[in-house]
Amino acid sequence: MYLTVEHATKTFGPFVALDDVSIAIEKGEFVCLLGPSGCGKTTLLRIIAGLAETDSGVVTIEGETLSNQPARKRGFGIVFQSYSLFPNMTVAENIGYGLRIRGAANDQIAARVRELLELVKLPQLADKFPSQLSGGQQQRIALARAIAVDPRVLLLDEPLSALDAKVRADLRSEIRQLQRTLGIPTLMVTHDQEEALALADKIICMNHGTVVQAGTPEDLYHRPETRFVADFMGTSNLIETDVIRRVQPDLLQTRPDAPDADYIACIRPEHIELTPDADGTATVREISFLGNLKRIELDSPLGPLLVETHGAGGFSPGDKLALGIAPEHCVWVRDDVIGAAA
Amino acid sequence: MTDKTLPRGTSGAPPARFDGDKALALVCVGVPLIGLVLFFLYPMAIVFLRSITTVDGEYGLSNYAEVLGSSGFWRATRHSMIMGGATTLLSVVLGFIIAHGLYRCAFRGKRLIRAVIVLPLLAPSLVQALGLIFLLGRNGVVNQLFGVEMEIYGFWGLLIANTLYALPQAVMIIGAALVLLDARTYEAAEVMGASPMRQFRDLTLPAARFGILNAAFVVFIITITDFGNAAVIGGDYSVLATEIYSQVIGQRNFNMGAVVGIMLLLPTVAAYYIERRAMRLQGRHPVNAQRFVPRFTPARDLPMAGLNLLICLAVLSVIAIVFYASFVRLWPYNMSLTLKHYDITLAGGYSSLWITIWISLAAAAGGTFLVFLLAVGLRRAPAMLAQPLQVLAAMPAAVPGMVLGLAYILTFNSTATPLYLLYGTAALIGIVNFYHYHTQAFLTVMTGFRQLPSALEEAAGSLGAGLGRVAVNIIAPFVAPMLISVFFFLFMRSMVTLSAVVFLTTPDLSVAAVTIMRLDDAGLTSQAAAFSCCVMAVVAAALLGMKAILAYLGRNAGTGSDG
Repeated sequence: MYLTVEHATKTFGPFVALDDVSIAIEKGEFVCLLGPSGCGKTTLLRIIAGLAETDSGVVTIEGETLSNQPARKRGFGIVFQSYSLFPNMTVAENIGYGLRIRGAANDQIAARVRELLELVKLPQLADKFPSQLSGGQQQRIALARAIAVDPRVLLLDEPLSALDAKVRADLRSEIRQLQRTLGIPTLMVTHDQEEALALADKIICMNHGTVVQAGTPEDLYHRPETRFVADFMGTSNLIETDVIRRVQPDLLQTRPDAPDADYIACIRPEHIELTPDADGTATVREISFLGNLKRIELDSPLGPLLVETHGAGGFSPGDKLALGIAPEHCVWVRDDVIGAAA
Repeated sequence: MTDKTLPRGTSGAPPARFDGDKALALVCVGVPLIGLVLFFLYPMAIVFLRSITTVDGEYGLSNYAEVLGSSGFWRATRHSMIMGGATTLLSVVLGFIIAHGLYRCAFRGKRLIRAVIVLPLLAPSLVQALGLIFLLGRNGVVNQLFGVEMEIYGFWGLLIANTLYALPQAVMIIGAALVLLDARTYEAAEVMGASPMRQFRDLTLPAARFGILNAAFVVFIITITDFGNAAVIGGDYSVLATEIYSQVIGQRNFNMGAVVGIMLLLPTVAAYYIERRAMRLQGRHPVNAQRFVPRFTPARDLPMAGLNLLICLAVLSVIAIVFYASFVRLWPYNMSLTLKHYDITLAGGYSSLWITIWISLAAAAGGTFLVFLLAVGLRRAPAMLAQPLQVLAAMPAAVPGMVLGLAYILTFNSTATPLYLLYGTAALIGIVNFYHYHTQAFLTVMTGFRQLPSALEEAAGSLGAGLGRVAVNIIAPFVAPMLISVFFFLFMRSMVTLSAVVFLTTPDLSVAAVTIMRLDDAGLTSQAAAFSCCVMAVVAAALLGMKAILAYLGRNAGTGSDG
């Protein structure tokens, strides 16, 4: 364990932002804190950075407790959604600021700044001011500024959320590459599951101030443990136990032994096979063409279903289809959502 | 287009749609424009012409030669500049301490600080001077209690009075610059290892530098153009504002007054110009900026809280002593309390207070309407008209109240034009108040207009609403908070202003601030204090009324529109 948070609890008045949260980051690992807004992920990141205090709980790095260390003594790097470059300093001054604080020699700072500007592919911007830069450029500079001092941990607070789709995709792969090359343990907060899937070695999925599930992106996508995770990580067809029992009882074999209301079936749209069949039980309601795939909405004995296919299958609305669902593709998840809503 | 529609209309054929929008836009721009020309440009031209009119009625520079050759003028100029500089330095330092305390430190009682710091704006400037005399004068509290006699009339008294008077502006301007910086920027610096001192030096100071510069120029202008404090506590320390007064009122030498006025105008215009430039450099709020919420840091916050408390006490004590003194039977000999000073013995009694309230209401209502018209019109006016008009609308702020007042007396006390009919009327005082504060009112409304999405207007337009309907149904509700602010701003300034109106009052028609000055001149200092308290009560009530209305509007806007 490189960095750990143990039993962190934080309340803002009556609002519980973090409820006994424990997480861990290994050396060199890229971890994403994923969850909807208000789930406590940003609070957790700010506590790790030292920008907020816990009501109880401990943050440790390499076994050393950080609780009494102010943010400026922790030696971390941070990048915010809002770029937050120093408006009165040039790009080079921004990147070199951390080294200047540490009393580095001028030529040493200049060399490091040059190196970092090459790394983020913006060597021509050294003497510009932040206000002259695009959002994507500002965020690259913010990234360069954060890693300039070889931080013990890199913290990214929704760094891509303010950017355009294209810039976001570019910077996403660059962050990934940079992190791999430098091996800096990184914790990123995001509400974008696609971003988390693409970047993370490990995803920590949070809701209502607690960790719902932590694991590899594959784990979370293919083996969600709760309805919340199944829903939040991509789209899924969620079907109640009694419907499965009536229509396709062979899917029950993987179901844990528990009351009907506790678990529901989760079937990913790409795991339903469709075969044209005049006697089929399912009917095509609508088809949306999404370029590389088709999204098909069906009415079936299982209820309305969403299916995604790459195949050329020329279905049209009203067509009758037979459904094929393999038991290993039916994941039973704990129904944590209805309970929370009620 | 008008060429085509007009003949067709008169020939009896159904007129091609009369372009009501264009006509209305023309009225919107035209009426305020006529006002600005008649009541600002024209008087300013007159004051200039009079400054170059010699004794024998010829044009020439002999007045200037005479003024520039007199030692009195140079002394007043030197005093004005020294006083302006010293007040600026002191106000900006103190203002920075307060603003930094309010926006960058963590301690309790900030609402109280905010409330105390605006107090000087509620009263005519000369109230600071009155308060200082009660506190530090020969018969002042300090001398009575500790036997420390000091000479309060002159440089030091005037410096303190001016500083207290300019402080609210300095705090507001510097504060506005301090909130500009995103909290995340500080957090980034913190995580990078910057100590609080470094953050202050590397982030706060650079971010505030344009605010500081801006505040410095505003304070400088306020100080060198203020008349009330200089008149009451300046003593022998003559400044340009009192010099104009003594030329005009004392020696009835209008042309010489005009020359001194022009000389006072020069530094003011220069300072105003630089200030506008500095403001443009300040930059805008970053998008989705996070408000900085300071965490309690004893080493920083305890001394800052102490300094804030001290400054607030100074501001408060000067106002409070005026309030207290207004009830004291015979300061300092008989300190028992009485209401007798509220029975004003000067001719006219409270009539000038009532007339001032009426004048202020009229100036506020008429002024708000005019700047609204102008702003609506500017949205539709062609750029070649809109731009010079905007410059014109922003010009009055550069003109000291004394100079504007002098320009008015020179213009309207002359039988050469029918405008003479306005001379000596309350209407003219209302007009001079409005044009004195025209720029601030105009800029406030323009700020509101800039936030109005043009899509809103276009949507209404495409639904078939004409300009009149758009103005009433779409624009007015949207900028209502700004209009309310402008109304109360004009009302409150009109209630307390002295410099512009001091020349326009007559024995039959006085306003509150002038009455206070006359009471003080007549040695009825306690009555002057009592009268000041009445003015402050009216202005404070107006301020609270404004806050209540704005809060009400804000709440309604928050709960969504009601169809």
